[in-house]
Amino acid sequence: MKNVYSVAVVGVGGQGLLTLGSILGYACMLSGLDVSVGEVHGMSQRGGSVIVHVRIGRNPSPIIPVGGADHIIAMELLEAARYAHYARKGGVLTANDFIWPPPLSNYPSREEIIGKMKGKELLFYLFNANDLSNRIVGSTVSANIAMLGFALGVDQELRSIVNIKHVEEALLEHFKGKVYEVNKELLHIAYNEGLKHAEKK
Amino acid sequence: MDHYLLKPKGSKVLLLGNEAIARGALEAGICFAAAYPGTPSTEILEVLAEVADECGINVEWSVNEKTAFEAAYGAAISGVRSLTAMKHVGLNVASDILMSSAYSGVEDGFVVVSADDPSMHSSQNEQDNRWYGLISHIPVVEPSSPRDAYKLTKEAYKLSSKYKVPVILRSTTRISHTRMPIELEDEVFFERKCKGVFRKDYERWVLVPGNARKRKLELMKTWKTVIENEGREPFVSILNPGLKKAIVASGIAYSYVKEALDLMNALDKVTVLKVNLPVPLPVEPVKKVLEYADEVLVVEELDPVVELQLKSIAQTLGYKSRVIGKSVVPENYELSIETLYKPIADFLGSPAMDHWISIGTVKTDPPIPPRPPILCAGCPHRNTFYILRIAANKAGLKNPVFTGDIGCYTLGYQKPFETQSTSFEMGGSIGVAHGLSKSTDNPVIAVIGDSTFFHAGIPPALNVVYNDSNVAIVVLDNLTTAMTGHQPHPGTGVSATGKRTRRILPEKILEAIGYDVTVINPLRVKESVSIVTKAFENYRSGAKIAVVSRMRCALEALRLSRKKNIILPVYHVIEEKCTGCMACIKLTACPALILEPGEKKPRINPEICAGCGLCATICPYNAIEVKNKPSMNWETTWWD
Ligand SMILES: Cc1ncc(C[n+]2csc(CCOP(=O)(O)OP(=O)(O)O)c2C)c(N)n1
Repeated sequence: MKNVYSVAVVGVGGQGLLTLGSILGYACMLSGLDVSVGEVHGMSQRGGSVIVHVRIGRNPSPIIPVGGADHIIAMELLEAARYAHYARKGGVLTANDFIWPPPLSNYPSREEIIGKMKGKELLFYLFNANDLSNRIVGSTVSANIAMLGFALGVDQELRSIVNIKHVEEALLEHFKGKVYEVNKELLHIAYNEGLKHAEKK
Repeated sequence: MDHYLLKPKGSKVLLLGNEAIARGALEAGICFAAAYPGTPSTEILEVLAEVADECGINVEWSVNEKTAFEAAYGAAISGVRSLTAMKHVGLNVASDILMSSAYSGVEDGFVVVSADDPSMHSSQNEQDNRWYGLISHIPVVEPSSPRDAYKLTKEAYKLSSKYKVPVILRSTTRISHTRMPIELEDEVFFERKCKGVFRKDYERWVLVPGNARKRKLELMKTWKTVIENEGREPFVSILNPGLKKAIVASGIAYSYVKEALDLMNALDKVTVLKVNLPVPLPVEPVKKVLEYADEVLVVEELDPVVELQLKSIAQTLGYKSRVIGKSVVPENYELSIETLYKPIADFLGSPAMDHWISIGTVKTDPPIPPRPPILCAGCPHRNTFYILRIAANKAGLKNPVFTGDIGCYTLGYQKPFETQSTSFEMGGSIGVAHGLSKSTDNPVIAVIGDSTFFHAGIPPALNVVYNDSNVAIVVLDNLTTAMTGHQPHPGTGVSATGKRTRRILPEKILEAIGYDVTVINPLRVKESVSIVTKAFENYRSGAKIAVVSRMRCALEALRLSRKKNIILPVYHVIEEKCTGCMACIKLTACPALILEPGEKKPRINPEICAGCGLCATICPYNAIEVKNKPSMNWETTWWD
């Protein structure tokens, strides 16, 4: 691994980005790595655009530079496009196949965004995490866990740094009992989906 | 005993900078903590409140920062270690007692955490509170990372006890809100000193001029001693001493400097002075650097606090080194490895190599729309703003000015509400309304949140009555301090540690002051419109009126409904009845209402709809209806 591996988690305030970032951070710690997880609290959490900076490496500074993200995990498509320039050339971007437009706004269609994304020097993966969460958990609340599992599945470097077993263990910091069990199941289904997607490319 | 903050010595935990500060304070032996919430400081007290009972310490949300500071100071002058925490602007509110506390000092460790917000992620301004150290002559400790914050909190307590002065611990958003694995060095369970003794000493505790003059000399003696004696680790460290070029990095700036040097393979090419005591800047280590360095670059976030002191030391002692800082390092917004790379490379004469090659921006047609924060689906403020607009109109108020304040409801400045035409600082809505009313012919309506009303709204409300202006007051009572993450306040009847306490109602206070107060339930839109219209009519005829709009914060209501298994209504648009007039979207700007590109009629996202029903009330064609079977008692989640 190079000095620092950077994962940007982006989306809309309220989509569970902090939980995703903190679980990934916890998993890093369990894997014996140093990590910093830069969160966003306060005003932007009220439906605003949010970026969480996860930096894995020794004593990392807290903010990912533009062009410095090895992987972007996007919980929403407009936010995926908004923050795409954080990705380095040849980096990975995994996006939840879901558009949540700001009220009263004029916004590009799903096809337009996907088309433009595919024109970039980027490993781009789409995944319907809302749908999977709905099927396994009964609502979209765990779409963040599904995205985390999928992102690990598609990104060989990330999953060689952070072991899926440690992610599973890190879930325990947030969930207990039955809720933990379903989220663990969701994580694994999404992870296997990710592995399959990566093979296809 | 399974709270992560209380893990035994030797454990490794992933802590937020704020939690690291809280843990450090617990290890240092505090028994009292008081604060008022404010991003990015909030989680310090929040997590202390969670463990308060288990640790046997006193933890409270005070009504504002001045009150919190005074309470914690009271503990410290009786010899009980204490903490207060606030966001940068909170220290403005507490600055009066801050200045005096320096004169009288403390009997045991007292740390004032000031969490600054460079880049204004969640604030009305950015200010560098290290200046407060210089004005008050109070030492400022500034960590470089969350891990540093944990260790330096403990050091700050030692420093405070040693010199018997308050110490400011300055954090910033990127320290307070960044998580890092932290290895715990000490235990938190031990016999704490929780009962102090107040020793009467009128020359020390009574700052009449004669006493204050003597205390000032004492204070300056301590100040000079700190400058001379505290230039040591962990407050100041010198890496690679004796080189011709030196970088001085204060607080978080050190993290970026280190990473930049690492990327340039220049870690051993330059002397680095890591400063974690920027105020007052100790002389010895600075001398050691200036002795050898011809060129010095000072890197710090926001203002040139270290730079000015360092230049002054160099000038006084006759060093000829060239010192630069803010002429090349940005002085606005937070720093990053990105903004610092070039100034550091230039300083070292390294090539400005591109380490980060971006894929470039994704340009779509139409472009990605901005996504500013918005009122949540079901937010009671949305209903109240709608009601205020309609009622003002019905009551014939011409060109009303809605002065605003600070909280989630500030978002009411946006279209379609425009019921927040000003927002400066907490309590300002009522204070500024008074002046506007005295100086213009507009009807002036001050719109203020419940927590903000208790914090700083009461004195200006008194002033309106005493000095007789024409101001109407609207208190938005969502039964919590929502903006900062739902802390209780005097109107909730619940304490920081979840205990019942006497509930204080805003309407009782306003009545006592002399307002005619009506309380509305904005969930019932039509009923509220007619009540507020009447109140505004009274206002027009010269009455002092106030409205308290009470409905639970939607995030809390949703939480409650899940906990109690109450099914809330979910609305949908009946396609056949909808004419596509867009009144619902245009008048509510609710995030649950979605218009797909190319579509003519909106739809409601059932995952997001909170069931407040405002859109259904507004729809002129009755095309929005409840589609599920809500519980009988669903309204109790919003209003009890
Ligand atoms: C002096 C000061 N202290 C703290 C804050 C942080 N802060 C911003 S809004 C707010 C209170 C919001 O609560 P409330 O008035 O009840 O409105 P709500 O967010 O619930 O709508 C606080 C504490 C601040 N901006 N200024």
